[in-house]
Amino acid sequence: MDDLRLFLSHAVALEGDAAERYHELNETLDAHNNPEVAELFRRMEHYSNLHLAEATERAEAAGGVIRLKPWEFQWGQAESPESAETEASHYLMTPHHALKLALAAENSAHAFYDGVRAATSNPEVRKLAAEFATEEAGHADELDRWLERYPEPAPDWDEDPDPPVAVD
Amino acid sequence: MNSIEPALRPRDYKSDAHPVWCPGCGDFGVLNALTKTFAAEQLAPERIALISGIGCSSRLPAYANAYGFHGVHGRALPLATGLAVSRPDLTVIAVSGDGDGFSIGGNHFLHACRRNVDFTWIVMDNAVYGMTKGQASPTTEADWTGSKLTPDGSHLAPLQPLEIALAAGCGFIAREFSGNPNGLSQRISEAIAHPGFAFIQVIAPCITYRPEQMAYKKRVEAGFEPVDDRRRAYTQLLDAGPLTTGLLYRAALPQWQPAPRSDHAVDELDDRFAVAGDA
Repeated sequence: MDDLRLFLSHAVALEGDAAERYHELNETLDAHNNPEVAELFRRMEHYSNLHLAEATERAEAAGGVIRLKPWEFQWGQAESPESAETEASHYLMTPHHALKLALAAENSAHAFYDGVRAATSNPEVRKLAAEFATEEAGHADELDRWLERYPEPAPDWDEDPDPPVAVD
Repeated sequence: MNSIEPALRPRDYKSDAHPVWCPGCGDFGVLNALTKTFAAEQLAPERIALISGIGCSSRLPAYANAYGFHGVHGRALPLATGLAVSRPDLTVIAVSGDGDGFSIGGNHFLHACRRNVDFTWIVMDNAVYGMTKGQASPTTEADWTGSKLTPDGSHLAPLQPLEIALAAGCGFIAREFSGNPNGLSQRISEAIAHPGFAFIQVIAPCITYRPEQMAYKKRVEAGFEPVDDRRRAYTQLLDAGPLTTGLLYRAALPQWQPAPRSDHAVDELDDRFAVAGDA
């Protein structure tokens, strides 16, 4: 990816998609009466929106966000890299699981930016991609620290006394 | 591409209602793909109508900022047909689940294909009745033993929706995966642009009653090459696995679109729908 505006448009979409996914998880966990995890996802959405504002500001300074169709982005995968994987969510999930989910998303974003850094021939894009990759690595380190406060729960964390289905 | 930022974002096409789908449900991917499509095409929300029947997936219209009609079980297609015929200026999209669309509404599936009225039908297929707590549906594997109602499996061969659509005369047939909302968004955009009835089967995992479907993400593969020849489409289908995705068949076929009548007055409708004894 050699075009600066194209790169920054990807950065804007990446943060926007991440915020949208956390918003979705916040609403869903709230609907399933898991307020602690819902609140955690709300905070993650807040941070993503701060990063979105920052990326948008940079993109505007570089000439504006390029309007791309969802399928025109060059993610190299099905979804934008920082979108938390919903399959790993569960109505009984704990903060530990939520943080692991967010950590995987941050690592994925880091891999994306690092990949752009390694592949681009534009020095300006390379510099920004390296900066963004470092930022994402910093977020991952922060989540690692949070995880120390929320150790892995007991294996029966998803045991439900009134399960949605029971087959003998 | 151009440099004008879209005025409407995907979020603008979502309503304030919080989805009650289970966390991880594949239906979220379809809602996201739809709202991304609407934003990509900058469709005016008041020009979109989402029509559904009954089931988890049929709750979707409530979560979208567009006109919606949550109909009765299996009847999304006749409702959408009526609306698309009378208001061809609207973007009409029917949404169903595999039970609603292929069982209760199975008859309508056949006739929507052969009528070829201009609207799109998205079926969120998780091969289970989720809303009623996990029973075998028309697309469930014969040996699935996850329900008390079929502890030894249903012993019924799963329905093949794409083959049926092809046989019934559908002009746009595709299968996609909810875990790829960007790719699904492109397919929905193509389906909306297709002049006639467009059918997209979306593999949409049910994380609660079919947790094994979480592995689909690693197993789905883009494989169909779009063709306009039915024989070649059938050959592809027979060679493909159940998780092969892509646009299978697209052909320009005659549409059924009678000229809209505008000579009915509201009073006349009142007369026609009046119950005997009404004042």
